[in-house]
Amino acid sequence: MAVYTPEKPLTAAEITGPGAWWCSGCGDFGVTAAFKDVLVALVNELGVPLERVFVMSGIGCSSKEPEMLRLNAYHGQHGRSIPVAMGVALANPNLVVVDFGGDGDSYAIGMEHFVHACIKNVNMTLIVMNNQVYGLTRGQASPTGHLGLKTSSTPEGKKVRPVNPLKLAIAAGAAFVGRGVSWKKKELAELMLRAIQTKGFSLLDVFSPCVTYHREPGYRGSGAIVDWYRLNYVLDIQEAWREMRDQVFSEEERAHLPSDYDPTSPDAALYALRLIEEAAKMGREVTGLLLVNESAPTLEEALGVSPERAPALADISVEGNLERYRKLLAELR
Amino acid sequence: MRSIQVCGAGRAGDGTNTNISMLGQVLKDLGAWAFVWREEVYSNIQTRDTAFGLRAADVPVYGPDDEFDILEAFDQGAFVDWTGEGRVPPLARLRKGGIVLYDSSPRLEYPNAGHEVRPEQVEAELKAREARLFGLPMGRMAKEQFGNYIVRGTIALGVLAHMLGLPEEAFARRFVRIFGEGSDLFRLNLEAFRAGLEYARAEGWELPDLRLPLTPREDDERQLLLGNEAVALGSIVAGCRFYAGYPITPASEVLEYMAEKLPSVGGVVFQADSEMAAAHHVIGGSVAGARAMTATSGPGFSLMQEAISAAGMTETPVVIVVSQRGGPATGLPTKVGQEDLNETVFGGHGDFARIVLAPTEPEDAFYMMEKAFNLADRYQCPVFVIYDQMFAQSTYTTPPLDPSRFTIDRGKVVAAPANGHNGRYRRYALTEDGISPRAFPGMPGIHTIYVNTNEHTEEGYITEEMVVRKAMVEKRVVKRMQLIVRDRDLPSPVVHGPADAPIGFIGYGSVYGPVLEAVERLAEKGQKAKFMALRTIWPFPGREVRRFVDSCRVVYVVEYSATAQLKGLVQREATGPMPRKLRSVLRYDGRPMTPGYVLQSL
Repeated sequence: MAVYTPEKPLTAAEITGPGAWWCSGCGDFGVTAAFKDVLVALVNELGVPLERVFVMSGIGCSSKEPEMLRLNAYHGQHGRSIPVAMGVALANPNLVVVDFGGDGDSYAIGMEHFVHACIKNVNMTLIVMNNQVYGLTRGQASPTGHLGLKTSSTPEGKKVRPVNPLKLAIAAGAAFVGRGVSWKKKELAELMLRAIQTKGFSLLDVFSPCVTYHREPGYRGSGAIVDWYRLNYVLDIQEAWREMRDQVFSEEERAHLPSDYDPTSPDAALYALRLIEEAAKMGREVTGLLLVNESAPTLEEALGVSPERAPALADISVEGNLERYRKLLAELR
Repeated sequence: MRSIQVCGAGRAGDGTNTNISMLGQVLKDLGAWAFVWREEVYSNIQTRDTAFGLRAADVPVYGPDDEFDILEAFDQGAFVDWTGEGRVPPLARLRKGGIVLYDSSPRLEYPNAGHEVRPEQVEAELKAREARLFGLPMGRMAKEQFGNYIVRGTIALGVLAHMLGLPEEAFARRFVRIFGEGSDLFRLNLEAFRAGLEYARAEGWELPDLRLPLTPREDDERQLLLGNEAVALGSIVAGCRFYAGYPITPASEVLEYMAEKLPSVGGVVFQADSEMAAAHHVIGGSVAGARAMTATSGPGFSLMQEAISAAGMTETPVVIVVSQRGGPATGLPTKVGQEDLNETVFGGHGDFARIVLAPTEPEDAFYMMEKAFNLADRYQCPVFVIYDQMFAQSTYTTPPLDPSRFTIDRGKVVAAPANGHNGRYRRYALTEDGISPRAFPGMPGIHTIYVNTNEHTEEGYITEEMVVRKAMVEKRVVKRMQLIVRDRDLPSPVVHGPADAPIGFIGYGSVYGPVLEAVERLAEKGQKAKFMALRTIWPFPGREVRRFVDSCRVVYVVEYSATAQLKGLVQREATGPMPRKLRSVLRYDGRPMTPGYVLQSL
């Protein structure tokens, strides 16, 4: 079925759309570049037919992702990409569903759907381009905006506690929880591929800085905000594991800990939560692969749908079902 | 027409529903056309007053009559408004010379045993109605003979069977179906039934005047089903394979029926976490290629408005059932209303094409679902099926339903693999009729299906350019509605009564039965009247309605809405104000319309 062969492989150019939406230097370009690499790998190396990829988005700068691509896609309303994606995934489990959300999209107006998607463990990937502001409406603080962040809607600095999506996703039982950064394409692509390949709901939060509206004291000029993230904000989970073990874990616990952080460990959820908490005390947010746990049944499995038993591909002909229909009618006499 | 009407009045959770439903099933099995409705049900599971109505006739009936021939009083609430809230107890609707079968047991020590029934408290009213009283200690019998209070309803059935001359075998057959052959519950109920039968025989209780002339049919394939079940069943036969919904009265039976049956034909049912989510799931299911639907009522429908707008913009076929209850807000959760017509016709922000269908009774609804799904696919727009609690939650006897009459038309779908458009599929390709062929993700060779809620180009990419915008609006709304209006699959209004009748009625949904009978009663009195039941509300059948109104001297629009929403549509779309000619029969107390209610409002 695959259209692309070793002789004629898929190229990134073929899946590049006409979109020109983001400011120069926007982190979302990095996310897009990484995603195209992943798609090319999926199609050329892993044999996923391109027509089975389905991309979703909501509203905000992040939602322009399908505009940058040339793929089967649904660009929807603010916060509602997740429930539409769930419908697509349930109706045809043959599809690879990747939803691009923003921090306002997924963690404010679409929070209800986000948490339920984690709990229900629908087999899809949510990639959130998290930049702490509402870029498309000119820079108001978003739910992930850190305390003290000055924006047009928080002139005295943000006073309302931010949401921590990683903690939420872990607590709600997502199968994959990770965080990438837009300026490290290779690592980001690896996280994306792993998220897509994980059975169940995957949350990949990505710090994708807004170069236009996210301002930090002392960081002026183009590209400076990336430096702020790098120097002041992020902390790789492996680094956190090495450096914070003494603060986080008791001596007794440390005796049994592996040298590297293991996201597939049965205790990964608890370890990750403790490291997130500890990092937060220093004003840091962890990045990297926090958790992969495919032990829970997916929503598809729970509801009895599968690639072989896809509702969208079911026989709906009257002839093919007549006996069953007659039986249903006979029950109601 | 010969008919008999029974009311069972007790307390929620005491078996009153089962008592009346079983009697309805048996009468249907014996050849009658049975209709069972919720005369009085509160948003409550136990302890509140409750009453169920049964009408059985020798011809099809689609609604309750005004008066009861028999009142089964399982609780004092059948006689008095013991809470003092302004409730009208069922006794108020007992006909002159009617029967009262009451539980004459002293108050029993059961959690939900309710109030001792004391007819002496309403002696004057009973006398005025010339009621014939039959006291049966059914509660005590149930407790002492069977150790199970809940079977007192079955004992009452035994009494009624003897009084009305209904054969025991007919009840036994239903007990087998309900409780399972040879099960403990089967034996318990059969014995309780026989105890009632014997009691009535010993007392010599006979009611020859109330016996219906019944002839069981050979191979009786008539259905006995709720309006909601007819809709669910019709949807399955129409090819629906994706259902997402949230529980809400009076639409939950659609979800429940789908949950039980849809997986058996390869479909999926997902109980969503809100109606907002459900409606978006349905869009996703439809975009993926499944025929997809949801059902809801007022509060949930409000939550769906955003998704409805999205379905309109993205040209995604969805079927949304609107089972109305009394509003606004939480309103009257378990009672009838028709207050969401405007929201159905005008809801969802922005201009887009839509279709609103309105079944009159379950047989109509079953076949109408074929049209709903075909129209949705043909015009790639939301299709609403609107009705109300009385239709949704009443049990009707229908003629045998025939699934082989259905045809599936999925509208324009590209042949895979796509080779046109330089190999590039365009979801919103501008075509002559404005309808772009659909493609479904996963179709080999197509990877450019771009569905967009923003204004978009033919390829689906965002645009705000005026030329494209104008072309898309014309494609999506203007041309689309012009096409829809001409579609012969739109159910046309049905008119009952002589063409030259000067009095006209217009209505939709469950007012169908009561208005039909009001017209018949006027005819019996020598007054010619006719009734136009609307089955498509949008696009509004303006020409038919105008002609109908023109042919009458006076027209009454009958509906469950204080602001006369349907009459407003008639005026807007067909007739103009016509304040003298166009009148209303309105009901907004949450209670079912009856023929008498319609006639007294003229």
